[in-house]
Amino acid sequence: MTGVHHMLVHFPLALWALALVMILLRTLTTGELARLSERALVPVLALSLLGALAAVISGFLVWPWEAALSSPLTRNHILMALWSTSLWAVITALIWLIGSALWDGIGRWVMLVLGLIASCLFAITGTLGGHLAGVTSFFSIILDSLGWTVYETFYLPSMSLVLLFLIGGIMVVLGVTGRKT
Amino acid sequence: MNRQRTGLMMILFVGALALAWLTHGTGVVRNDLSRNIYIPDELTMPLQVQVAYNENLIFFHFRWPARNAYVYHDMLRYEDGTWVRHGASRAGPDPDNTYEDRVTMLVDDGRVPDFGRFGGYITIGANARFFTNQADKAEVAGHPHLGGTLGVNEVQKHLPATRSDMADWRTVVSEETLQQQRDAGYFLDLWHWRAGRSNPVGMSDDQWIGEHRHGDSGKAPFSTNWDSKLKQPKYMFDPARTGQYALRWEDVESNRFDFEDIYYLSEDFAVPFDPSHSWVNGDVIPRRLLRIGDGSRGDIRVYGKGRWEQGYWNVTLVRALVTGNPDDKAFNEQGLYNLGFAVHRDATGSRWHYVSLPCTLGLGRDADITAEPFTGESPPWTDTWKEIKLFYPGQVNWPYLTSRAHAGSVNIAEGVPVHSRHTEVQLALYGVEREFNSEIIRQWIWTLVSGIVLMMALGIGLSLRLGRYNGGVR
Repeated sequence: MTGVHHMLVHFPLALWALALVMILLRTLTTGELARLSERALVPVLALSLLGALAAVISGFLVWPWEAALSSPLTRNHILMALWSTSLWAVITALIWLIGSALWDGIGRWVMLVLGLIASCLFAITGTLGGHLAGVTSFFSIILDSLGWTVYETFYLPSMSLVLLFLIGGIMVVLGVTGRKT
Repeated sequence: MNRQRTGLMMILFVGALALAWLTHGTGVVRNDLSRNIYIPDELTMPLQVQVAYNENLIFFHFRWPARNAYVYHDMLRYEDGTWVRHGASRAGPDPDNTYEDRVTMLVDDGRVPDFGRFGGYITIGANARFFTNQADKAEVAGHPHLGGTLGVNEVQKHLPATRSDMADWRTVVSEETLQQQRDAGYFLDLWHWRAGRSNPVGMSDDQWIGEHRHGDSGKAPFSTNWDSKLKQPKYMFDPARTGQYALRWEDVESNRFDFEDIYYLSEDFAVPFDPSHSWVNGDVIPRRLLRIGDGSRGDIRVYGKGRWEQGYWNVTLVRALVTGNPDDKAFNEQGLYNLGFAVHRDATGSRWHYVSLPCTLGLGRDADITAEPFTGESPPWTDTWKEIKLFYPGQVNWPYLTSRAHAGSVNIAEGVPVHSRHTEVQLALYGVEREFNSEIIRQWIWTLVSGIVLMMALGIGLSLRLGRYNGGVR
């Protein structure tokens, strides 16, 4: 299953990289290429999510579950894979639900920031996958210099967890309140 | 208004990610001596090694940094009529500075499968001494071989094939099989230099690992200076030769000593204990009586003097290339050997040491460490140190490493050496995390969930705001 996982991860990798370029074009330009990018984003992102789903499922089959849970590198790989997939899923849903209106005003900048963050998370996922395959990369040295050694599990203290849930709740409230029907 | 709320949501989201980045990895790892958990401040340290040999002898020269030298070990302090012991094995550093520094070296000649690939990890079985789940002492003492034959009550280093099930320390193979294993060379030689219990008399302890950690046959360089019936030392300092009856606690407690003065008790200047002497509070008598070891146990000597100066220990050990003793590994020209090193410092004992990955030693052939041949009496040391990175190994044992719970167990089964998959820093970090495995998994699951919830909440909030502002969600 290791080989299959290695093959499958290239689909979301390539498609999300393409999606980021399209978001950049749509955010920063207004020409034909921007309009083409906007129209193609939903199918590209939908295919990315399908590829990611296949990659995640095949990834869970590489090692026994107890081995994956016991390895700090694997724990980090799983966490970053699910976080990046979740954020790209949010981006996909927003573009699909709101449509062209999303790119007016502040929305386009929101998409750009989310796309960059999601790409960053997915780059970390790939770096960790490289470590697991025995191929380390320079990117992990950057992460180390920024305060995270990838051989240590990325986990949060309880107080931070509480704050994260609280912030999530506030964001929903901000969305719901003051909404005109 | 809508624009501001959207902006606020993005600020909160980025802020939450920043919070996660800044606080990750905290709140779990902490010392807990009740669970035998103590994490050293530094997880790695360097050790320098040189090896040379002449026609008959082999010399190992070690050098390593240590903030302080700890030479006091296992002391008896007089207090209101009783002798109180300080320096018994414990979790973490000894608070009274009464635990000695040590350097140890495991040696194999290729007859212990896997040692050359996985080093000392193969010697750590289930429920080992000072692990959080260490075996019950009474149960070990009641074991027919460990308690009955060997008289021990703790599970110490042992080799995998000395158990029919390495995951169960109780399953020691038969005495006949153990003897056959020893005859076949299935044991590790253990050179064991002790700053308190052997160095002052110019000796190193000499032990071996089979189904347990044994002393070689013969006389150790130290004995126990304690009369358990009378609850007093057996020997004290000879006042005629030393000018004193005892050491003073204030010197021991503050780790004050002079290598050229009296800081240990040796047969050369000990006399039977005199209970009628006017002992005063704070008098200290070492609970170990040093002597010149003999037999196989006395094979290894300190060459020159083992000394700590300017933040570094310098120790050279010397032994016959071939001792002729069945509990030693012989060194021969053209031989290739596997070594594993460890250092105890900062007044710690038992599993609170820094260990090395296995490395090779060659006599007359290339290896990680190539021994330098010479003629004459003194090794002509040149500046050819082998730098070895030692690391704190944490609570990682061989049953775990070879189980399904370790992703690399397949590699181990295939004989892939540990250093081809892991670095010393990586192993140290993994070792620490292993000591908090269940707590870290719990926090990791919550972290995973909280991140996903945060992103979903952002998606809901944004779809409501941006959809409203930009014409409504379709």
